[in-house]
Amino acid sequence: MHELSLVQSLMEQLQDLATENKATKIITVTMEIGPLAGVVIDSFEFAFEALAKDNPLTTKAKLVISKPAISYSCLDCQHVVDNCQERPSLCPACQAPHLYPDGGDQLILSRIEME
Amino acid sequence: MCDACGCDLPIENSTDSKIIEVHQSLLKANTEMADLNRSHFRAMGTVVINLISSPGSGKTTLLEHTIEQLDPAIKIGVIEGDIETERDADRIRTKGVPVVQITTGGACHLDAAQIHKGLHRLQHEYDINSLDLLFIENVGNLVCPATFDLGEDIRVVLVSVPEGPDKPAKYPRAFLGSHAFIISKTDLLPYFDFPVAEARREALEINPKLEVMELSATTGDGFEQWLSYLRQLVQHQKTTNGEK
Repeated sequence: MHELSLVQSLMEQLQDLATENKATKIITVTMEIGPLAGVVIDSFEFAFEALAKDNPLTTKAKLVISKPAISYSCLDCQHVVDNCQERPSLCPACQAPHLYPDGGDQLILSRIEME
Repeated sequence: MCDACGCDLPIENSTDSKIIEVHQSLLKANTEMADLNRSHFRAMGTVVINLISSPGSGKTTLLEHTIEQLDPAIKIGVIEGDIETERDADRIRTKGVPVVQITTGGACHLDAAQIHKGLHRLQHEYDINSLDLLFIENVGNLVCPATFDLGEDIRVVLVSVPEGPDKPAKYPRAFLGSHAFIISKTDLLPYFDFPVAEARREALEINPKLEVMELSATTGDGFEQWLSYLRQLVQHQKTTNGEK
């Protein structure tokens, strides 16, 4: 359940950004969470709901999460498989099982809409 | 100021929302602290190993036997992470190496800031400026610790034979982020259905770069491969430091 501590650090970042931009209300928070970030989206959303309602800045904030696809490279033939949500079991080019992801572990606060 | 007539009245846009592009990692604070730890470790000439596994896979036992069997010239330190108790640190302390215990008080993982404090405590309590190897024994959990960079050089994931061979497939993030995978308690293989080849294959499919080792700390089987892996890391660190 490390999602709760991740959302706590999100709340701190939101607070800082709101102060910086003299905003009093956050409307939308857009996050990018890669499929390999090790984050359970449901738990993240649950933690967000729980923490957001305690702060006047975020009571009405809406959380939008995008889950970017990633690419895998075959370590045997260097073939790249783009646009995966899940790890392909075999390389479509050489049938070897040694596929290594390129990124996919991002956990990024992309943008916020505030007023 | 108003563009149309040049008056000083503020433009009434307070109800308009504005969008800020942030593009900042949620783990930013942790990563910055981990980078700081990394430079601290470099200055101490230390190879740092973060041990991750479920509770009861034998992390502490692995450390006890490693301390006993590794060349005495290699200076070892340990940072123990647990939710509660000093028990693991007590076990390591009897082996005569510098150790500090971090109790997270409920948190399911160690983070870089805790390691930073732990490192300072270790240096202060034992008056040490250099170490060859520092082991960080993470909180027993195959999920959450995988997300947090502590500034380590090497991440080792352990699975013990009684846990079953499906851990790589079920907890891919821990294996993807690791450098080595240890199958521990291999002395129990006759009593459990643990196809070693299958566990190996599944782990390597997730992360083909993993160094896989099978060992039993109790019987000593396979332990030499682990010790030699550690010696190489220490040697490599000394060579790299010497080149500077």
